[in-house]
Amino acid sequence: MSEAIVIENLTKYYDKFLALEGLNLKVPANENVGLLGPNGAGKSTTLKIMCGLIRASSGKVYIDGIDISQKPEQALSKIGAIVETAEFYTFLTPSEILSYLGRLRGMQGQEMKSRIKEVIKLVGLERWIDVKVEKFSRGMKQRLALAQTLLHDPQILILDEPGLGLDPRGLVEFRQIIEEAGKEKTIFFASHQLTEVAQICEQIAIIDHGKLLIYDSTTELEKKYGTLEKAYLELTGGVS
Amino acid sequence: MELEKLQVVIGYEFLKHIRRKRLYVILGLALVAELAVIIFVPLLTKIGGYPSNIMTMATFLTVGPSMASLGAVFFAGDAIAGEYESKTGFILFTNPVKRTTLWVGKYIACLIAVALLMIFSYIITAVTLLAIYGNVPAEMYQSFGLALLFGAAFLSVTFFFSSVSKGAMGATVITLLLVFVLFGILESILMFTDNPTWFLLSTGGDSIGAVYGDYSVILGEFLPEGHELPFEIGALDVGLASMAMAVYMVVGFISSIFISNRRQLA
Repeated sequence: MSEAIVIENLTKYYDKFLALEGLNLKVPANENVGLLGPNGAGKSTTLKIMCGLIRASSGKVYIDGIDISQKPEQALSKIGAIVETAEFYTFLTPSEILSYLGRLRGMQGQEMKSRIKEVIKLVGLERWIDVKVEKFSRGMKQRLALAQTLLHDPQILILDEPGLGLDPRGLVEFRQIIEEAGKEKTIFFASHQLTEVAQICEQIAIIDHGKLLIYDSTTELEKKYGTLEKAYLELTGGVS
Repeated sequence: MELEKLQVVIGYEFLKHIRRKRLYVILGLALVAELAVIIFVPLLTKIGGYPSNIMTMATFLTVGPSMASLGAVFFAGDAIAGEYESKTGFILFTNPVKRTTLWVGKYIACLIAVALLMIFSYIITAVTLLAIYGNVPAEMYQSFGLALLFGAAFLSVTFFFSSVSKGAMGATVITLLLVFVLFGILESILMFTDNPTWFLLSTGGDSIGAVYGDYSVILGEFLPEGHELPFEIGALDVGLASMAMAVYMVVGFISSIFISNRRQLA
């Protein structure tokens, strides 16, 4: 099976603070992998390097075989991403924002318009398609963020806490959309929500202090530790 | 392909300017400044009407383009810093587009907005001069060119500060302080001590009006008979000032791209 994402010996320093220490991880194509870890474990740093937002101090990330540090545009064309809390230009509408991002990805014409309507419907923002983002709640912005992630139908989704700010109904809808997408895409999903990750991902990677603690299937972890929660707590030092 | 993306960036960045109130505020300020000159010059000066010399009135009316050039700071202050400060970069930068394309697109969109403000101001100038004197001096076209160059240079300096600042407000304030306060003070000191000032960006701004003639001749009409200006204003070398503005434009813009491309969104 080919690998959609390869992380090789990834190290990141913020000045003298070591955020990632020789992280290695391979995500096979069409697998859904959850990245778990406590605050400051290095999850967001990993995702930001994968999306070309920050540079690694050493090590490599390959997206579909393309080195993100060498050919960022080529690598980014393969992914759809939500990193941190999504913010948009407040004086533009979802329709305009998605047109902008779609055109940057080479989409155009009627095909793009139809796709925009499709993803807007998928995330439940039909009534808001022509309303300026300045009127949007946190949850609505998060829905728009998911829409832009799916717009160009990428094979790889990189999601950092995508359910942040959503109400319970929104969370359920989000999970369904991501689960559905995950059937034919690779999803790399960082979250604090263990149940959410367990429902979407077949594989779990737990990191702490920038190091990989374990990378195994959800079922194996549950078999070994009883529950995913116990595995998480034990591995990250929460229980003796 | 990258050229197509550049066109897309320019289009949507310009749309952002159109949607924001600041474009209309600056447009309004430029209009008010021009109207103030048209209304108050005949009321407040001793001659009791418009100056007999068309160049004098044209010089007064450069207040509009000068105001329009201020727009450069307000458009460009958040062009780069805003993507980091408001975190919109987390969405924009994960798209397959070169950062340089984004910065160049933003710069061109700002320049188009500034140029539109300038055109608006010069149309008012031309209409006013035509109404009062029946013609428009050829120097106005040169003044327009210099105003555009000043706006572009001002934009580049603001882009530079936007690339190094954490916030848009910081970039805007630093640029205004540098050009209008620091350079303004330096310009005054250098002028009074009879030294050249052509290398200051604020002098570039002065060149917009300097093409209409020597300030001492233009202002002489308003002095009581037998009186002279209390100080001597040396003639401004417009050529040198233009060269300096071109240097600010190129160096400011290139360094802003260099710095922005290395900036990380942590």
